[in-house]
Amino acid sequence: MRFEYFRYAFKNIRHRRLRSWLTLIGIFIGIAAVVALISVGQGMQNAINEEFQKAGADRITIQPAGGFAGAYVSEKLYQSDVDVVNRVKSVDFATGVIVKTGRIKYKDQTESAAIFGIDSDEDTKRFIEKIDFFLIEEGRQFKSIDNNVAILGSNIASDLFDREIVLGEKIIVEGKEFKVIGIQKKSGSPMHDNMVRITTDSAQELFDLEKTEEVSMIFAKVKPGLDPLEVAEDVRDALRKDHDVKEGKEDFIVVTAEQMIEGFNNILLVIQVVLVGIAAISLVVGGIGITNTMYTSVVERTREIGIMKSVGAKNSDIISIFLLESAMLGFFGGILGVVIGLSVSKVIELVAVSAGVTVLKAYFGIELIFGALLFSMVVGTVSGVLPAKSAAKMNPVDALRSMI
Amino acid sequence: MISDYFSYAFKNLRYRKVRTWLTMIGIVIGIAAVVSIISLGQGLEDMVTGQFEDMGADKITIMPGSSLLSVGMAAISLNQKDYDVIKRTKGVEYVTGMIYSSIRIEYKDESEYTFVIGMPLDSDSKRIFDSMQNFKIDYGRDLKDGDNNVVVVGASVAKDENIFVKGVSIGSKITIEGVNFKVIGVLETLGNEQDDRSVYINIDRSRDIFDNKEDYDMFFVQAKSGFDVSEVADDITDALRKSRDLKEGEEDFNVQTTEQLQESFGTIFSIVQWFLIGIASISIVVGGIGIMNTMYTSVLERTYDIGIMKAVGAKNSDILMLFVIEAGTLGAVGGIIGMIVGGGFAKLIEIVAKNALPADLLKAHLGVELLVGAVLFAFVVGMASGAFPARQAARMKPVDALRYE
Repeated sequence: MRFEYFRYAFKNIRHRRLRSWLTLIGIFIGIAAVVALISVGQGMQNAINEEFQKAGADRITIQPAGGFAGAYVSEKLYQSDVDVVNRVKSVDFATGVIVKTGRIKYKDQTESAAIFGIDSDEDTKRFIEKIDFFLIEEGRQFKSIDNNVAILGSNIASDLFDREIVLGEKIIVEGKEFKVIGIQKKSGSPMHDNMVRITTDSAQELFDLEKTEEVSMIFAKVKPGLDPLEVAEDVRDALRKDHDVKEGKEDFIVVTAEQMIEGFNNILLVIQVVLVGIAAISLVVGGIGITNTMYTSVVERTREIGIMKSVGAKNSDIISIFLLESAMLGFFGGILGVVIGLSVSKVIELVAVSAGVTVLKAYFGIELIFGALLFSMVVGTVSGVLPAKSAAKMNPVDALRSMI
Repeated sequence: MISDYFSYAFKNLRYRKVRTWLTMIGIVIGIAAVVSIISLGQGLEDMVTGQFEDMGADKITIMPGSSLLSVGMAAISLNQKDYDVIKRTKGVEYVTGMIYSSIRIEYKDESEYTFVIGMPLDSDSKRIFDSMQNFKIDYGRDLKDGDNNVVVVGASVAKDENIFVKGVSIGSKITIEGVNFKVIGVLETLGNEQDDRSVYINIDRSRDIFDNKEDYDMFFVQAKSGFDVSEVADDITDALRKSRDLKEGEEDFNVQTTEQLQESFGTIFSIVQWFLIGIASISIVVGGIGIMNTMYTSVLERTYDIGIMKAVGAKNSDILMLFVIEAGTLGAVGGIIGMIVGGGFAKLIEIVAKNALPADLLKAHLGVELLVGAVLFAFVVGMASGAFPARQAARMKPVDALRYE
C-alpha cells in the first residue's frame, strides 16, 4: 500500500516533467548554495583547527595585557618573565620571542614582512622542531653559535620577491645583512609562511632591545599529561606573584592554544550563520515554488481526487498522496543540490589551492550530506501541507463534476 | 495597444489568485532581501563617509609602518626630526602629532585597559584633532593649553558598565600608571568603540607616563588652502624619505590623505557588500524560475485561448508580447511589494540600531534609484523568466492549439 503511494507520486512527478524540473531547480539552487557555504566554512574551520593542533594543544602563550603582540601596548614582558615561567613546575619549557614587522631587502627590491626573533639554544631548537610551522624544507635550524643568519618562510623565499631567494644568499633586514641558512616548509599558515626568522640576539640588536631584554610574547610547553588550562593557572599565579599584582589586575594574558582558537571559531561561526541565513532565503523561495506546483497539481487532478474519494479513499489517504509527492520533489532537489553544492565547494578549494591559499578546504561530512537531504525533504513536505489539505477537503461530488 | 496587453495580463493573474500570489512571494522575498542589504550597506557607508568628511579633505595622516596593515607592529617610530621635516614641507599649514598606548587605568576599585592618548593642546593642534576625530564635548569642558593632571574621557568610559560599573563623571579621580588625574570632560559618542573607550590627556604628561621622550605614533597635517592635498602628501613622502635616507619603495612610514583612507575602506566594504548581495540574489533567481514555471503552466492552460487568438489573426509576436508582459507584470508587482517589505525591514533595523547603539549613526539609505532600480530589475527578471514559456506559446500551430482539450 505504502509502496503504491510512492509509485503514484513518482508517476505524477514524471508526468509533468518540465514543471517538476523547474520546481526541482528552485530547491536545488538553494540547497546547493547552503551546502557549498557550509562545506567551505566547515572545511576552513577544520583546516584552521588542524593548524592549531600542529602548533600543539599543549602550548601556552603569554602576552602583555591590553593588546595583541605588543601593538601600542604599554605593558611589557621581559626575559625575566620567561625565567619565571620556566621555573613553574608544571611547565616543561618556555621561551620568549620577539615579533615585529620590518623591511626586507633582496637585490634591489624592498618588502615588509614579519620578523620573528627566537632563541638559538638547543632547548629552544628541540621545542621548535616539534612545531610543524617551523619545519625546515632546505638548510637547517639555528645553532647556538649562529649570528646574523636568517630562516625564511616559504612565501618569502619563493613569492615575495621577483627573484627566488636560495640558500646561502644575503638579504638585508632593517639595514643589516643576514645570510639565509634555511627555508621553512610551506605550512599553510599565512603568518608563518611570511616571516623571517632570526636569532633573539640579532633581533635585540636590530630593534634596540638589548638593554631591556624585552620580549613580545612567551611560548611555553606544558609537561606531558597535564591539563593546559591548569598549567595556565599555575603560570598566572607565578607571574602575578612576581609582578606583585592582585587577581583581576594582571598586566599580562595567559592563553592556551585551545582558548586562542575558541575566539576565532566563534567569529567564524557568526560569519557562517549570517551567510547561510541569507542563502537559506532562496530555500524558502524554492519551498514556495513547491507549494505552487502542488496547488496546480491539485487543481489539475481534481477529477482524479473525486474518483479516489468516491471509491473509498479517506482524507488522510489524499493528504498522504500529495505530501509524499511534495516530499519527493524536495528530496530529489536535495540530491541534486548536495551534488552541485559539494562540487562548487570542491572547485572553490581547487581555485584556492592554485592561488596558494591552503585553508580553504571543502568539507564532505556525512552529516552535512544527510542533513541537507533530510532538510530538503522537510522543506518539500512542509511546502506541500496547504495544497494537500485543500485536496483532502474537496467534496467528492464537486470534484467529480469538475471539468478539468 | 500596450495597455491592452497589461490589462489582459492583470486579468489572467487575478484569475489564478493563489498561484499568482505564491509566484510573486518568491520574487518579493528575493527583492526584499537584496533591497534591505543594499539599503543598510549604503547606510553604513554613508555613516563612515560622513565621518571621513568630518575629518576634512585637506587633512593628511602619517603613521609609522610601510602599510596600513602593519600599523602598530612597525619596528620604527616617527620622531621630532620627522615632525620638523613635515612642518617645513611646502603646502603644510599645520602639523601635529600624538602618542598613544594601551594602559591600565584605575577608578575606585576597578581597573581596565584603555587607550591613553596624549595630544598637544595648543589651539592649532587642538583644531586639527577636533576635526580629524570629530571630538565634541558632551558635558564638562575640553582640554586646553596648560592643563596637566586632567583628563577628558570617551563616552563609553563614562557610561559603559562593562568598563567601570560605577561610571566615571566630572570630578572623578582616575589613576593612570599611578598618577592621579581629574576628569574634566566627557566626549560625545564617536561611534567607534576604540575611540569611545579612550582617554585623552596632555601629550607632555603622557610622555612622562609612557616614558617616551620624543617619538610620535601619528601625525596629522592640515594642507594649506589652494594646494592639492595629494601633491602635498607626495611632497611629505619625498621629504621624509630623503631625511630618513630611504629609496623609493622602501618607505617605513605611510602617508594617507583623507580621500585615500576613505578609498581603502570603501574597497573592502564594497567587496563584502557585493558578496552578500550575490548570495541574496540567488533567491531572486529561484523566484524567477518560479515565474517561468507558472508561465509554462499558464501557457498550457490557455492553449485553447491561444489557438483562438491565432485563428482570429494574432501574430506570433503578439502572443509573445502577451506572455512576456504577463511575466514581467508578475515580476514588477513582486518587486514593488518586495521593495516595500525590504525598505521596511531596513528601517526596522535602523530603529533597533538606534536603541541598541548610543548614537543614531546607522540610517537605512532608501534612495529613489534603489527603489526604482529594484522594481525595474524585478520587471526585467520577470520578462526574462517569461521568455521561454512565451516563445513556446507563440510557436503553437493554431490548429493543434484549437484541438487541445
